[in-house]
Amino acid sequence: MRLSGHTRRTAGNSVSATDLDVLLRRVARGDQEAFADFYDATRARVYGLVARVLRDPGYSEETTQEVYLQVWRSAGAYDPASGTPLAWLLTLAHRRAVDRVRSEQAVTQRESRYGATTVETAADQVSESVIISDERRQVAACVNGLTDLQRECINLAYYQGLTYAQVSERLSANLATVKSRMRDALKGLRNCLGVR
Amino acid sequence: MTDRESEFETADLLSLAVPYALHALSDAEDEVVEARLAEAQSAVVNAFFDEVRAVRETMARVAILTAAEPPIQLRRRILAAVAGDNVRAITPDASSRRTGPRWRSAILTAAAVLVVGLGGLGIGVALRPAPEQPSKAQQVFAASDVRTTSGAIPVGGTATVVYSHHENAAVLVMNNVPPPKPGTVYQMWLVNPAGATSAGTMDAQAVAPSTTAVLPNLGDSTSLAFTVEPNSGSTKPTGHFIAELPIS
Repeated sequence: MRLSGHTRRTAGNSVSATDLDVLLRRVARGDQEAFADFYDATRARVYGLVARVLRDPGYSEETTQEVYLQVWRSAGAYDPASGTPLAWLLTLAHRRAVDRVRSEQAVTQRESRYGATTVETAADQVSESVIISDERRQVAACVNGLTDLQRECINLAYYQGLTYAQVSERLSANLATVKSRMRDALKGLRNCLGVR
Repeated sequence: MTDRESEFETADLLSLAVPYALHALSDAEDEVVEARLAEAQSAVVNAFFDEVRAVRETMARVAILTAAEPPIQLRRRILAAVAGDNVRAITPDASSRRTGPRWRSAILTAAAVLVVGLGGLGIGVALRPAPEQPSKAQQVFAASDVRTTSGAIPVGGTATVVYSHHENAAVLVMNNVPPPKPGTVYQMWLVNPAGATSAGTMDAQAVAPSTTAVLPNLGDSTSLAFTVEPNSGSTKPTGHFIAELPIS
């Protein structure tokens, strides 16, 4: 059982942007202890997002390792003016996961029956492994506040790695409609979560 | 351009900020958006990246819903992988692309000054805004043994290296080098008879459309070489040198 024998403590923890910022500065100077702390503070969010997109434990581990190697090598490039450390990190993780899922897409399509089974299993594992917290409830409420169509667009684009043109084909909706659904979805989430 | 065309172009580019931020554009579409941003007015560029930033902060909050513990052995593997890894991404010696044309013109000015101003004129260009002390780049420019070498990169564009062994550092200026293919980086190597040591990597963001970076610790290197490497780079060159500039 892959979740046994280690702590789930950090899954629901909020680590302050300042703490992560300080850790990243130390990582940029080659501080391995700071890197280990940074990993522990963020690993559940990174691995969980990557696994949600890739839906394959082996690919997800490889990609998570690439993400953190990139953090080690490019921590000095993090610019606080461009956003919080967590947003920087998860942007990097999502980019790598999407690149990987697109390069594997042909294989996935050939094995779509098997793939569909894998999705359900992965989703179950994710929900089991997450600590229920106030933050999680608040975010879930905001996501549930979206319309079904908006959620579907975000799901296909962000979690399945489709381009918005592919989303419009999948939903038989025109490009402008898909773009505005995505934009409305993000606007709704942003307002609900109070992201400035 | 009429006001109406200008307005249309603005609205259209901004409507791509959300799919851009969600990585929901193809590589080709990403390139088109980035090319348009390079030509756009700074107000448009700022509005675009404000939206990109907000989308990324929002999705970072949403990531709590997908949080899942990785297998415990992954921690050991990752910590082992970074121990002793000396590859570093190049940090462009200026603020990020968010500032758009302003940033580009600062870099291009710096590059132009390198070309025309290397006659001991006391180069006053500030690569960072209002540095409190002379930057390493300025120290290299001002060094008594400063030299410059330049060459074409076969994939396109040019690399210019301004270096001083006395200051033990070089300033690299890359102009019009196309971004590396997705999933790869350009990697620079300091080469001496004993072998090649990583001098840093450049990804698509670092390279376009022009970048300036300080490379410290020249040591007894005799050349600066360039390779294309997978992912975030390699500890030893895995590809052949696509370019090599002498720095001895």
